[in-house]
Amino acid sequence: MTGVHYAYPDADHEVLTGVDLSVDAGQVVGIVGASGAGKTTLAKSIAGFIPHSEGGELTGSVVVDGLKVADATLAQVVSRVGLVTQNPFNQISGAKYTVREEIAFGLENLGVPRDEMSERVDAVGTRLGIRELFERSPYALSGGQMQLVAIASMMIMAPRVLVMDEPTSQLDPSGSRLVFDIVNGLADDGTAVVIFEHKLELLREHADVLHVLADGVIARSGSAREVLADPRTDEWGVGSTRFTRAARRAIEQKLLPATTALPVSLEDAKAVFSK
Amino acid sequence: MSTLYLDRPSPIHRLNPITKLIGVLAIILLVFALPYWWAPLAILVLVVVPAALLARVGGRLLLVGGAILVPLLLVVAIGQGFFNTRGETILFSIGSFDFALEGVLFAAAVGGRTAVLVTAAMLLLLTTHPGKLLSALSQNGMPPKMAYVISSTLQMLPAFRTRADSIILAQRSRGLKTRGNPIRRFAVLIPLLSPLILGVFVDVDERSTAMEARAFASTGPRTALEIVKDPVGEKVARWVVMLLAVGALVVSFMGLYPEMSWPL
Repeated sequence: MTGVHYAYPDADHEVLTGVDLSVDAGQVVGIVGASGAGKTTLAKSIAGFIPHSEGGELTGSVVVDGLKVADATLAQVVSRVGLVTQNPFNQISGAKYTVREEIAFGLENLGVPRDEMSERVDAVGTRLGIRELFERSPYALSGGQMQLVAIASMMIMAPRVLVMDEPTSQLDPSGSRLVFDIVNGLADDGTAVVIFEHKLELLREHADVLHVLADGVIARSGSAREVLADPRTDEWGVGSTRFTRAARRAIEQKLLPATTALPVSLEDAKAVFSK
Repeated sequence: MSTLYLDRPSPIHRLNPITKLIGVLAIILLVFALPYWWAPLAILVLVVVPAALLARVGGRLLLVGGAILVPLLLVVAIGQGFFNTRGETILFSIGSFDFALEGVLFAAAVGGRTAVLVTAAMLLLLTTHPGKLLSALSQNGMPPKMAYVISSTLQMLPAFRTRADSIILAQRSRGLKTRGNPIRRFAVLIPLLSPLILGVFVDVDERSTAMEARAFASTGPRTALEIVKDPVGEKVARWVVMLLAVGALVVSFMGLYPEMSWPL
């Protein structure tokens, strides 16, 4: 993605104001930013829904797996890029009777033969540990279970890039951790994962690269450790880890020297405070 | 739960959804074709009620159907009783308004047909999962997008109700009085509508994105993981039922039904 600017139809300002972003196969890229920074717009731009579904004016270039998004059809883009959004309820198709059929829905639309479909559904169900849910109605699931089904529904389409827009916003801590474990597993298999998330400590553990999106541009990029230790994270509305906050308070109270490198993990904090 | 569907191990549930859909259509045709006041009642007692009991959804049908029909039928009966132009047999008067027997009988005829229509449609919804209906319609040649519109519409009302309940709860927790006389209850609708409608728009937008992400807009041939069973016996039964219903309608148009002592 190079020099991407985007404004919604009839809007008088751009939401994305010059985004440059690249993601390699097998990489987990985290993107953080305040509410209104343009995260969902960026997610939809990568996944091709902008401008194909939303309209508006997009300039710059978005290329996914060699396919120039602006020149391709949405069907071509979605065959390469999967999108998981934050509200699991709205990702359930409403068209299927059981979880098993729900997961297969995308493959049915692509005309995948029944036997192959069945094998792929079983495989993805086993991988996510949701096979015991297969015969239940998708609407009879908890929010966390629904989100796992939504992720399975995308995974089964074997996208080269998976975009996840705050996938853990309605999940409990164990559910959130499970999603990140799945993300790492997908990356190990060569899928590029772009995850928009507020849970900084999980991003620190799992993201290879972290970007800060602020006012429609990438304001900071680097390893999660580097980015989260940046003193400007509060200014960008990203927040900070509890370890960073504790260290800042200790510095304010002159319990730690002002030059202390801000910790972003428990290990860092132990090292800093033990001094 | 987002649909009216109740999962029960019953023969009615096991029927192909198209068979049930055709059955409901046939019932609707029959109640409008037969020019006898007792015809809707007969269909209700001989077809709808036994089917509901067999499907083990009688209680729910009574509850949901009653919630729709009782207020509707009361309004029709009162309106027709007072204002039907054929009213001659006066039962009682309020001021200058006369309540006539003919109006009540006309309301009974309309109400009977409405009751059959509503309960038969409810029975279909209570015993058929929208997803299974969608699959059956698609497998019988209906374009997937059209089938989806039907299927998702069946789920829209309960989802709408759930969202409205949450909004009312949130507004009540902020001091809005939602109980009391009918005027107060009506007034509650005004602050409810805006978040309800906006919320539904957001849901529709998000769901359409999710559907497109799963290639729903694909124009190529589709396949199905589960094939909805459609035995030959049911196919034959569908034709027979539909022919009977259409036949009844044709006879009605031709005016060949014998007149009863109290036709309406």
